[in-house]
Amino acid sequence: MSNTILALGAESVIFKTRRWNQFFVLKWRKTKPYLLEEIDTLLRKTRTSKECRTLTIARELGVRTPAVYSVDLNNYSILMDFIEGTQFKLLVERLDQKQLLELCQRFGQSIAQLHQGGVVHGDPTTSNVIVDKHFHLWLIDFGLSEMNATVEMKGVDLHLIRRALETTHWDKQELMLNATIEGYIDTIGKEAEDSLSRMNEIRERGRYH
Amino acid sequence: MPIICLGLEGTAHSFGAGIVTSEGAVLANEWDMLKPSQGGIHPREASRHHSDLGPSIIGKALDTAGVNYKDIDLIAFSRGPGLGPCLRTTATMARTLAAKLGIPLVDVNHCVAHIEIGNLESGFNDPVTVYVSGGNTQIIAFAGGRFRTFGETLDIAIGNMLDVLGRHLGMPFPAGPMIEKAAKEGRTFHSLPYSVKGMDLSYSGMFTSAKRLFSEGVPIPDICFSVQETSFGMLAEIAERALAHTKKNELLLTGGVARNNRLTEILTGVSERHEARFHRVSPSLAGDQGAMIAWNGILQYLSGHEIKISNSHVLPKWRTDEQDIIWRGQNE
Ligand SMILES: Nc1ncnc2c1ncn2[C@@H]1O[C@H](COP(=O)(O)OP(=O)(O)O)[C@@H](O)[C@H]1O
Ligand SMILES: [Fe+2]
Ligand SMILES: [Mg+2]
Repeated sequence: MSNTILALGAESVIFKTRRWNQFFVLKWRKTKPYLLEEIDTLLRKTRTSKECRTLTIARELGVRTPAVYSVDLNNYSILMDFIEGTQFKLLVERLDQKQLLELCQRFGQSIAQLHQGGVVHGDPTTSNVIVDKHFHLWLIDFGLSEMNATVEMKGVDLHLIRRALETTHWDKQELMLNATIEGYIDTIGKEAEDSLSRMNEIRERGRYH
Repeated sequence: MPIICLGLEGTAHSFGAGIVTSEGAVLANEWDMLKPSQGGIHPREASRHHSDLGPSIIGKALDTAGVNYKDIDLIAFSRGPGLGPCLRTTATMARTLAAKLGIPLVDVNHCVAHIEIGNLESGFNDPVTVYVSGGNTQIIAFAGGRFRTFGETLDIAIGNMLDVLGRHLGMPFPAGPMIEKAAKEGRTFHSLPYSVKGMDLSYSGMFTSAKRLFSEGVPIPDICFSVQETSFGMLAEIAERALAHTKKNELLLTGGVARNNRLTEILTGVSERHEARFHRVSPSLAGDQGAMIAWNGILQYLSGHEIKISNSHVLPKWRTDEQDIIWRGQNE
């Protein structure tokens, strides 16, 4: 068994580990000593179990996610498939426009599949999408996901996509957002209107009027 | 000879006049805050406060700085975002001065000014900024020639939440300091709704539940303790997401709520975990005041920007990312 640190995220440490002659990812939610202990423990526990649950539900809804092998709720870690590929975020600058728009549409479709199943991702940034060599999209990082999603929750999910595009892919944000929304509408149809208009409404909140 | 700029701030309930040189020396920074009788900001009442007190605050700033109107080279004003009536009153004063003295006028974005004065004080270059005040709760960082809002509150600002909760608990305005004091006596933690969505957060659920704790007879110190730990924990999380996402290595805390020591302690922990430097802007430069407007005015003016009076209408909804940051390189 060999471990290398793959990433240090906001919430977790990600190890790439080799077992049974195959690569896996071990996602460990390490303690944060600066938080109140009750809050730290609750977050580590709920995020770990939500992530684990939604990775499986999402797959049942037709969205590619890493398969989960084991969960350790004492140590707050998840063992899952390692997905060989590249973060969507890193690909954006390397693709030609046609490929980029194609991926954005598929991203919108995947989010729509979740929403149709009453699931919101909770952190739908381009860091949390992996593109493999077959050009397939994989969604990861479901710690903030929720079930029984309302229109408000779906609106927030879409708002977060827009936010991620405008802060990270500012020079292509409009193109990318339009393609993503196109994919979203393709999948959901007329009902997409509610969440989309909620997305626009949410953007205006919290600001001065 | 250094340039001397008079900056006028008046986006919400404070009016401020600051005098700053192009060498970064703050010669004066005078302000007055309207204490609302009922909590919350009343735009008209605040704008009357600004027009009533503005001239004497400006006079006091000139006295403190030991300069005359004729020594001022430049007028800067907070053009937005903020409350329309307050912005208009402040802009009118700025235009009148610029016209009378025959000197250039510069329009400053309030949120951007908070960041740049923090950079001046800390020596930071390119931080992730946590801007927490009565009217704003934002995580901002520089990317692609603009300051961009990576996260913010989806409903109420943290300072407003603390003040309104404080009023409910019988504390005078502003309640933030008393809540901090009471929280130190808190012993029992009560779980409250914790709501982080990506890099955004929401306080309304927590606020409602905290009020419910009060009606159930939970001691005030325990409520304050639970509210602080929960609301600051949420802020820490979105700040952490922004640090991990942008890979920047400086964390700047500013705005009125930056005075809170517990928040500072938590964000210090965040910065250590991400191997980032941390700075809390000192109270006199963290609140809404004119020095930050003056300093930003200088940065803009020296990189070739000024505004014609006829184009200087206020922008109440001016987004942080709508301004080209010409005094910084494209991708610092
Ligand atoms: N199953 C996986 N296969 C391959 N890479 C992964 C996998 N899970 C995570 N990663 C990599 O690690 C990074 C951080 O993981 P993530 O689950 O998003 O953690 P965090 O919640 O801390 O953001 C991802 O952006 C990705 O690059
Ligand atoms: Fe402010
Ligand atoms: Mg992630």
